[in-house]
Amino acid sequence: MPTRIQRLVGQPLWAAVAFQAAITVLPAAVVTYDDQIKPIFREHCMKCHGEDEPKAGINLGSYDTAVKGGSAGAVLVAGRASASILFSAITDENEDKRMPLRNAPLSQAKIELIREWIQTGLRETEKSASLTANRDIGFHPVVTTKLDGPPPMPGNLPSSTAPAPKHPFPVVAMATSPTAPLLAIARYGHVELDDVNTRQPLGDLPFPEGQPNVIRFTPDGRVLMVAGGKPVQSGSVVLYDVRTGNRLTKVGDELDAVLSADVSPDQKLIALGGSGKSVKVYNTDDGKLRYKLTRHTDWITALAFSPDGKTLATADRAGAIHLWDAQAGAILLTLAEHKASVRTLAWRADGKMLASGGEDGVLIWWDTSDGWPAVIKNNAHQPKRSEGVFGNLPNGVLSVAFGPNGDLLSVGRDRQLRLWNPTGGAIRAIPLDAGLPIQAAISNDGKTLVAGDAGGQVRFWDAKGAPLVVAKP
Amino acid sequence: MFYRPAFLALAFALPLLQAATPAATNAPLKPKTPAIPEVPSFRRDVMPVFFRSGCNQGTCHGSARGKDGFMLSLFGYDPKGDYYRITQEYVGRRVNVAAPDDSLILLKAQGKVPHTGGRLFTKDSVYYQILLKWIEAGAPDDEGTVPVPVEITLSPDHMVFKAPTPAQKLKPTQQMKVTARYSDGTMRDVTDFALFSVNNPATATINKTGLLTPGGKGDGFVFARFSRFTIGSEIIVLPPNDTTYRWTNPPANNEFDRIVYDRLQKLRLLPSQLCDDETFLRRATLDLAGTLPSVAEYRAFMADNAPNKREKLVDRLIASDGFTDVWTDLWSEMLRVKGGGYAPTGTDVKAAAAYHDWIRNQIAHNRPLNEFVADQIKGTGSNLTDGPANLYTMLVHSTKFTPKAFASDFSQVFLGLRIQCAECHNHPFDRWTQDDYYGWVSFFNGLKRKQGAEPREFYIYNDPSAEPAKHLVDNRPMPATVLGGEAPVAKGVDPREALADWLTSPKNDLFTHNLANRIWAQYMGRGLVEPVDDMRISNPPANKALLDALAAHLASNGFNLRALVKEICMSRVYQLSAKPNGTNADDTRQSSRAQLRRLRADVLLDAIVKATDGDRTFNLFPKGIKAIEHYPRTTGDTNGNTFTDPFFQTFGRSDRSTVSASDTRLEPTLSQTLHFIAGDTLQDQITKGKVVPNLLAAKISPAEIVEELYIRVLSRKPDADEGKAMLALAKQAPADRKTYEDIFWSLIDSTEFLFNH
Repeated sequence: MPTRIQRLVGQPLWAAVAFQAAITVLPAAVVTYDDQIKPIFREHCMKCHGEDEPKAGINLGSYDTAVKGGSAGAVLVAGRASASILFSAITDENEDKRMPLRNAPLSQAKIELIREWIQTGLRETEKSASLTANRDIGFHPVVTTKLDGPPPMPGNLPSSTAPAPKHPFPVVAMATSPTAPLLAIARYGHVELDDVNTRQPLGDLPFPEGQPNVIRFTPDGRVLMVAGGKPVQSGSVVLYDVRTGNRLTKVGDELDAVLSADVSPDQKLIALGGSGKSVKVYNTDDGKLRYKLTRHTDWITALAFSPDGKTLATADRAGAIHLWDAQAGAILLTLAEHKASVRTLAWRADGKMLASGGEDGVLIWWDTSDGWPAVIKNNAHQPKRSEGVFGNLPNGVLSVAFGPNGDLLSVGRDRQLRLWNPTGGAIRAIPLDAGLPIQAAISNDGKTLVAGDAGGQVRFWDAKGAPLVVAKP
Repeated sequence: MFYRPAFLALAFALPLLQAATPAATNAPLKPKTPAIPEVPSFRRDVMPVFFRSGCNQGTCHGSARGKDGFMLSLFGYDPKGDYYRITQEYVGRRVNVAAPDDSLILLKAQGKVPHTGGRLFTKDSVYYQILLKWIEAGAPDDEGTVPVPVEITLSPDHMVFKAPTPAQKLKPTQQMKVTARYSDGTMRDVTDFALFSVNNPATATINKTGLLTPGGKGDGFVFARFSRFTIGSEIIVLPPNDTTYRWTNPPANNEFDRIVYDRLQKLRLLPSQLCDDETFLRRATLDLAGTLPSVAEYRAFMADNAPNKREKLVDRLIASDGFTDVWTDLWSEMLRVKGGGYAPTGTDVKAAAAYHDWIRNQIAHNRPLNEFVADQIKGTGSNLTDGPANLYTMLVHSTKFTPKAFASDFSQVFLGLRIQCAECHNHPFDRWTQDDYYGWVSFFNGLKRKQGAEPREFYIYNDPSAEPAKHLVDNRPMPATVLGGEAPVAKGVDPREALADWLTSPKNDLFTHNLANRIWAQYMGRGLVEPVDDMRISNPPANKALLDALAAHLASNGFNLRALVKEICMSRVYQLSAKPNGTNADDTRQSSRAQLRRLRADVLLDAIVKATDGDRTFNLFPKGIKAIEHYPRTTGDTNGNTFTDPFFQTFGRSDRSTVSASDTRLEPTLSQTLHFIAGDTLQDQITKGKVVPNLLAAKISPAEIVEELYIRVLSRKPDADEGKAMLALAKQAPADRKTYEDIFWSLIDSTEFLFNH
């Protein structure tokens, strides 16, 4: 008996050694069907999905039939492994559903090759072109309407008289003015306005409603929107005149603090959302509810009007993003890619791209013309694993903000600021020595990067990543 | 890994105090409110608040999906994750360090804002103050290692009360106190953070703060839970008028008797009388040999005047094939021995036969039970020829070996433990943690099946290169570790060797108690722990000292099944009458009298066949096998409903679709009654067996025929009234076969026949 068992145990060991040798061969620069993918299909898939007996009509035996798909449609989406049925099938966590059925899963190396092949556009041979549409996602600056007069900066604003708390409130919201060197920071019960250039406070806007969860400037920088409230008690949105600090209007009478809100560029609409799972859009002139969006199935975590005011993007805690016609509240597109809570949304100034970040660690630039995820950064803010630490590390992307030149600043649970160019290329990463950054902003001139953290601290860097000291006033 | 004392979580109440001084034990122990540290620790101070307040229980935020958007780990198994969800998931929402009193968790807990869980505590409570101080300090996470509880004690550890009379105004009460010892050696009064419960609310009730109020007479336990520990204290409540009780000094045959008597005296119970010889003969034959005594055996036993004739009978029955059949049946039921025609599960009829034959062989040769179990644990080889290797095909019938499902069923069968709770969270009512669970699963993570020469054949082997199971919370690999063990077993060899050594050791109380309890249950109709496969701290034995003694008997006699069975059957408590006396009519747990037990379906069918001289065949089995030798055989998949014989289904034989002892059902149902009245079994067997025609042919008197039928069916002679009534019937047509067959039929259809008494 023992010899028989030894023989049994010995075999797979030998096979593993052979395989080890096989995968040390370096992959070619371009992954193609003919060179790398077909051999994988032949070894693992074609017994059931080949020429002879294509189950479900899927024949992976030739490039054309593989790209064509099966009786239920395409199984490959060029440029998007996450939307390709084939890729989901080989990576299914449910052993009973995972392909190849009743067999060991494909090795990680092979899965990566297939992912690369799909992402790079399903090339047949080295010479064939990528099927990924050659889309233009570059930033095309828009001419902004000229401001008459000086950039809107606050006049003599009083400072908050409330005693500073022992532990500062986290910077749960922060925004820079698009037209002035002005930064607005959430404090408990008020909003602090700072001069970006001097990094000194200019005064406070009282927000007796509670915690300011969202802060936004209108494109002209004249109006500041503050949304929030008291958790599970009350929520509303207030508009302030930046120059005078006067409250212009207040909408919403929610049962919970508002978690996401925006004001339309023409200041006619205010959208808000929260734990109620619906998005409510109010008219600013009469404060009346214009329409309500009930498509989301979880808390509304982020929403934003497009720069032209025509589109409203909304996102929820389950990972869904929807684009709506902002005037009528009709659905335009659903952007499905995030697997966990979306935490942040931002429109690029040219209106072409929408950035989203989520607790799944994914940062996406969406082409808003057709809802295509033009750039997907998985693990955009993946923390380094310390020794002896196992399991999933929180890697969420917590806040994103576009600068005037189309660059994107993001912060996440890896405690880094990351700056990306308009096509998704990494420019630089700036580590924080302390604190969890939860808010990101870029100054109106693009020269200052700002992060607000969970400990209530706000820090500044220049565009090269050098820290800018905040002098004591 | 910190020090894990293996078995001290349950500090039992025995030896009991002198019942004469209950007042002394009832002196209230006022729990001290612990001082709140300036900066409370999240793990040490804050987490217990969630536990005590019920925030992290299964119906609230401890649910796997959380509640109303907020999730905590069930009973706090994942402090790191809980800290993240409270402070980091939505920064600024749940705790507000700038305005601590406005923190959502505090407003929710006070019921000041809408909260599904309502109001949990008030502002002046220690719970509020701990959370507030922690938030005021900035809601910090713990740095470095935080001392963890390693043991809890509950005091008093036992209590005796006199039941209050209805007129009594001031009911006696007892404040319980829970103390935790931490890994740094510090002790802490954690009464305010423990959860309390009782297992017999008729005997005592307890409120949230640990104030116990005794009720009616009886015994029970109060339990406290804190951290990952559960602990119990015994409560005995004496009858309000305790002066009339006098112990009758019945003789004790052995140590088991003495321990039972000790317990009976504490509970003010008296044992019933010794049963008569007829009852003993029937009871012992059914229990030990799974069948009825024959008429000849009856007459020989009754005629024997030897003072040790009961012992002689027990010796003969223990040595009989019937004894082997009964225990083979019991084990193959526990181990889910079933054979089928669906090859991919590896449970072919041939595999089942190999396993069944192997089990029978071990029992027949009285193989020490520890070796019997160890052989199966180490089972390796072909399912078709290496019987014990089928532990890995039969315990969980599946096309794939599934380590988790196997590990759960394995511990349920061999240790009587249900550890599967710990797959998703620390066991709430026992000491098993997720660490224990995944370390346990790893023993089987390398188990593989390899297709043999033919489709039915699989080779079972351990793959030493297999990765250990991964912890649910953080994916940490958990190398094979015995339950309660401090360090993993040595790497490199088949971990099942170490598992078998540990599990079947005479020092392993989990193992010896499980075996002892199951053996006791077979002869007394009820385990000291019930259900027999749910041993846990919060389900303590009815008589701990007795279970210890039974287990010690096994451990010190080389796990000799027959020796322990003999000792049990020679005890006086086994031989007591079922007839209650003035004290014990309500007793079902303390062995003060025999319990009426409906016969198992297979024993019942064999008894019918034996009484009628009939014969009964089973599908897919050769002619001539007894019901007790039968195990499910099917042409299809073995993983499903496999009673395979309608009689078994009707009378509640386990179809072996799980390892649960509760699959064997002994409760009466309407379909059983209908089966006897209108079904074919009885009439068939009576007709086939020709008992009545043969008796008529023997030319004996009607009275002798009636007596013979009584002995055949009920192992006793008719009493005077019965004799008269039956004879009156018989005399109407003394030679009519029909009349006697009607008498025969009605005897078998009697409750007396259906039960062992």
